[in-house]
Amino acid sequence: MLLPKFEFHEPESIEKALALKKQLNSGARFLAGGTDLLVYLKKKIVSTDHVISLQRIDGLGEIQENESNLFIGACTTMAAISRHPAVLKRFCALKSGADNMGTHLIRNRATIGGNVCNASPAGDTLPALLVYDAVALVESPDGKREIPLTDFFKGPGKTDLKNDDILTGFRLPYPPDHSGAHYIQLGKRKSAEINVVNAASFLTCEPGTSNILSARIALGSVAPTPIRAPEAEAALMGRTAGDDTFNAAAETARFKDCSPIDDFRGSAAYRRAMVGVLTKRTLAEAFDQARA
Amino acid sequence: MKKLIQMTINDRAYEVAVEPNKTLADLIRYDLGLTGTKKGCDTGDCGACTVILNGDPVNSCLVLAVQADNAVIETIEGLSTDDGLHPLQQAFVEKGAIQCGFCTPGMILSAKNLLDKNPAPTEAEIREGISGNLCRCTGYQKIFEAIESTRS
Ligand SMILES: Cc1cc2nc3c(=O)[nH]c(=O)nc-3n(C[C@H](O)[C@H](O)[C@H](O)COP(=O)(O)OP(=O)(O)OC[C@H]3O[C@@H](n4cnc5c(N)ncnc54)[C@H](O)[C@@H]3O)c2cc1C
Ligand code: FES
Ligand code: FES
Repeated sequence: MLLPKFEFHEPESIEKALALKKQLNSGARFLAGGTDLLVYLKKKIVSTDHVISLQRIDGLGEIQENESNLFIGACTTMAAISRHPAVLKRFCALKSGADNMGTHLIRNRATIGGNVCNASPAGDTLPALLVYDAVALVESPDGKREIPLTDFFKGPGKTDLKNDDILTGFRLPYPPDHSGAHYIQLGKRKSAEINVVNAASFLTCEPGTSNILSARIALGSVAPTPIRAPEAEAALMGRTAGDDTFNAAAETARFKDCSPIDDFRGSAAYRRAMVGVLTKRTLAEAFDQARA
Repeated sequence: MKKLIQMTINDRAYEVAVEPNKTLADLIRYDLGLTGTKKGCDTGDCGACTVILNGDPVNSCLVLAVQADNAVIETIEGLSTDDGLHPLQQAFVEKGAIQCGFCTPGMILSAKNLLDKNPAPTEAEIREGISGNLCRCTGYQKIFEAIESTRS
């Protein structure tokens, strides 16, 4: 399969990348790990005259531990996320998402910014980013802005980014004490599979009790974008954590929060049933961590 | 416009002018003649094009050659020495882990990367370590046994 002809640019700073993009306008596309873009170019799903690589820009591939949050650069690979000590210690659901993406070969190239910009409803890092309340950091020729990830996805492959925007990274607030989170992806096989349903949950409990202080649930592959499950979250707030509460939240997520479709990977009814199962299981695991 | 890039492949320095839309797999196979690197799908699914790029195995069909400027690359041709085959290559031969051989270079490079980073992998780690490489012939069991026989 041949790639179409294009010019290749490798700016060394965000400013230069933004200037290039503005100058070349919609004829140019940014390249991170290339595991989506190069496939789309080969299959002629997209076309472009100019490819602007973000790979040589300092800092875009870094993870920084700030006082109250973790910064993850947009060009950080899945492999780098998965082995970073701060991710292992505080963001295990994100580690699990990164570990389950594609194959180990893909994970050495694929970046978290690319996964988010690709905006697949089934994207493997997206539910975890949603439940950790991640904020996307964006730069454009007009300046910097921040987009909460809950506002970022606009449809399959569609995001809130404008043509001139570069996603520079994400800020994830550190979870408070007595919190836990878990991610599960369900596919037909373990490796290199597009999810049938994927889900993440996050819980914070009152110290010494099982009272739920905050709860966040995110679902993938059951709507045009990855989504939060507000009705199910409301069914958890202020309740006592346990099987009955989790079952009730799972039923709410299953019947009220999602809108799955039938396709060759699974029927809408099966997806709904699995939303229930994965919601319950991720909540139970998150709770085990929260009280540990 | 062609771009001049430099890279080290199997300890040998190369300087080549490449079109920006050429993949690393095509450069290695067609321009440099290192045809041990195979192309199966060209879309990241099969792992036949696996090479080790700056210490990490990747699908070379999803890397632009220009992105590998200044890179250090290992292909299957770099594994044997004057003393003979690499232990993994020898094990693949002895255990019957090769049938048509199309997946073998990628399999061996993924296995080598696994063992370099984790000399005593568990059964699950071995299977995970080659899960990016598809084989149509062997059913994987002999490949698994060959890798298992070389772990420390
Ligand atoms: C074999 C295979 C298996 C896969 N398996 C999975 C899987 O299991 N789960 C999953 O979620 N995905 C999977 N993917 C999809 C893909 O690997 C991921 O979406 C990956 O994270 C994309 O990242 P990238 O760096 O390769 O993106 P690229 O291909 O470089 O870019 C993707 C898009 O985002 C834009 N972009 C990238 N970075 C930025 C930025 N910083 N600012 C602005 N725009 C940007 C690009 O212009 C492009 O349009 C798979 C892909 C392949 C080929
Ligand atoms: S040819 Fe590159 S993964 Fe199949
Ligand atoms: S030996 Fe034929 S594909 Fe593996």
